[in-house]
Amino acid sequence: MDTRSAREEILGKVRDALHRTAGASVPPVPVTARVPPRPGGPLEAEITQLLAEIEKLTGHTRRLASRAVLASALAELVKTEGVTKATLWTTPDLIAWDVAGTLRALGVTLVSPQADKQLVAGCELGVTGADAALPETGTLLLRAAPERPRVVSLLPRVHLAIFTPAVVRPDLHQAFAENKDAGYSVLVTGPSRTADIELTLTLGVHGPKTLYAWVMDTP
Amino acid sequence: MNPAPAAIDFRANSQQVPPSMPGAVQKATAKFLGNRAALVDLLGNDLWQQLRQAGHEARLHAITHLDAYLIQAEQAVAKAGGHVHWARDAAEAQRIILDLARRHHVKLAVKSKSMATEEIGLNHALEAAGIRVLETDLGEYIVQLKGVGPAHIVVPAFHLSKEEIAALFREKLGVEAPAEAQALTQIARQKLREEFLAAELGISGGNFLVAETGTIVTVTNEGNGRMCTTVPPVHVAVVGIDKVVPDWESLTVLLKLLARSATGQKLSCYTQFISGPPRSEGETGPREMHLILLDNGRSRILQTPECRETLLCIRCGACLNICPVYNSVGGYTYGYPISGPTGAIFAAQILGTQAAGSLPFASTLCGACNDICPVKIPLTDILLHLRQRVVEGDTLERAVAPAVLRAGARAGALALRTPWLYRLGGRVLAWLQIPFQRDGWLPRLPPPLNRWTLARPFPAFQPGFRTWWRSRVRAGSRPQ
Repeated sequence: MDTRSAREEILGKVRDALHRTAGASVPPVPVTARVPPRPGGPLEAEITQLLAEIEKLTGHTRRLASRAVLASALAELVKTEGVTKATLWTTPDLIAWDVAGTLRALGVTLVSPQADKQLVAGCELGVTGADAALPETGTLLLRAAPERPRVVSLLPRVHLAIFTPAVVRPDLHQAFAENKDAGYSVLVTGPSRTADIELTLTLGVHGPKTLYAWVMDTP
Repeated sequence: MNPAPAAIDFRANSQQVPPSMPGAVQKATAKFLGNRAALVDLLGNDLWQQLRQAGHEARLHAITHLDAYLIQAEQAVAKAGGHVHWARDAAEAQRIILDLARRHHVKLAVKSKSMATEEIGLNHALEAAGIRVLETDLGEYIVQLKGVGPAHIVVPAFHLSKEEIAALFREKLGVEAPAEAQALTQIARQKLREEFLAAELGISGGNFLVAETGTIVTVTNEGNGRMCTTVPPVHVAVVGIDKVVPDWESLTVLLKLLARSATGQKLSCYTQFISGPPRSEGETGPREMHLILLDNGRSRILQTPECRETLLCIRCGACLNICPVYNSVGGYTYGYPISGPTGAIFAAQILGTQAAGSLPFASTLCGACNDICPVKIPLTDILLHLRQRVVEGDTLERAVAPAVLRAGARAGALALRTPWLYRLGGRVLAWLQIPFQRDGWLPRLPPPLNRWTLARPFPAFQPGFRTWWRSRVRAGSRPQ
């Protein structure tokens, strides 16, 4: 048995195999290992494509022209999905749009995301923003932070993301460049799904069964 | 050291394939291949080939400078507040996880699908220590209830019908289960929800490890990967040292290739990026995060330049889906959690050619796997190289074939360049085969020739070629 630590032994074997010495320099990643990002289009076209892709993944999308429209859309969602308890991010946008107040006025009980996980899991609805949105794939990027807990988009049965057109990015490249410093982030592409039983597409395995993506056109 | 694994006998296993298997396999693989082809068309073949080349180069660059990127990743994970462990082999990785589980008084661990933990036999080790461990990917959950391993790396339970799964749920979970996919999925969701919330330890693999920021990337569809890494208080990720990628720009290429090749999705439903545990008190998520960097023979694979590209694999499963052998026998025949061409080259090197020497021969060498591989692994070249190693007793320095093969080849060469010996041989063989012949076939031959007839009959030797040829030439006929 080698008396060196596992780390030293593994690194030693790797270096021997590659004929490298400790501390040997690494050339830059070859340019042939890169592909250019997808060129973006006009913002309107990008939003249309984004929402179309999310719809293809069985997500529900809407464009909201004002806070009044947001309030009526929330009322509709609460009714359709039978929401009694909800949990949400406390980001500046969601606060400015008074999502919490609107839900409370609709008779929904708000649960803190920091509450016991059993309570958070008991919520029917989790409301988040989005930090990037990718039209080609219908993908939303969500960063985690204290005011944006990751359980909100995970434990409730319904996930609602409300964001402005400003978060649209052409491709993963830009979204990653802006968010790679996050301690945690997740790309959400449609609601939770599986085809594990006889290849039948089934929604809502462990994550949310239903995804709503709403674009707020006037901040 | 691990105990020497029992030898995998692909040929014997292939005799055990249930008749329903090939049909189920082909239904799944045809669907994935169809979805994939549609997305490749949408991108355009030029862009797809450019992506494949870039994916190949990014992975190759990472593994040929692996030591440096591992150190960079290690330092970045530590800086982000994660704990990094190094494991030389399966036993060491198991020990690290068991210690961790004991320290945290873990009674229940939840796992998201991970080929690395299958490779190290983690479930058995945890169960032997009295810790319950639950697979949470729906397909893995089903095969775990059934007490078997995954039949495909992406859809582990595709070979079971909904009726079989419903019966399994009724028997093992004691619930009323209709044979309907949506209802069965909801039963699993409810059962597993309770377990996620109760578990003290979450175990995941990692599709990639980004050296630049020490980020563990997991790609899942169901959300169980997010549950395992978010809900329990401790998260441990078991990641092979080959999973390192240099930076996020490389990741863009590989993510575009992975889901398209695997299930024919543009991106999988959830792609997570985990850089250490949550950074502040108020944030939800595990309090502790551990990363186990697993060697278990990967550094040995690097030693042989001909085989090095085995480690480029991103485990999409496309080479399984296209492989005519896999499509005929399914995953279990390979006797290893990773099956198909990529499983054959990986297992033969990780387990050694003594134990898995039959796997490199489980291929027609048609090359469809080379053409579909999103990171352009030269699978058939590696299969051929490994066949050579199996035949030569795995000694690379001296090309020595077994004595019987060498003697046979020499006798054949002599007979072919000595016409009278060739003619005599033809007569003698025709005479010698009489006692073995049945209806124009030789069902059984004496050793060492029985290596052939154990699997299939040998056509009886036809000695009349020269006579036939002379009569044809006389009649002036042309070959047809």
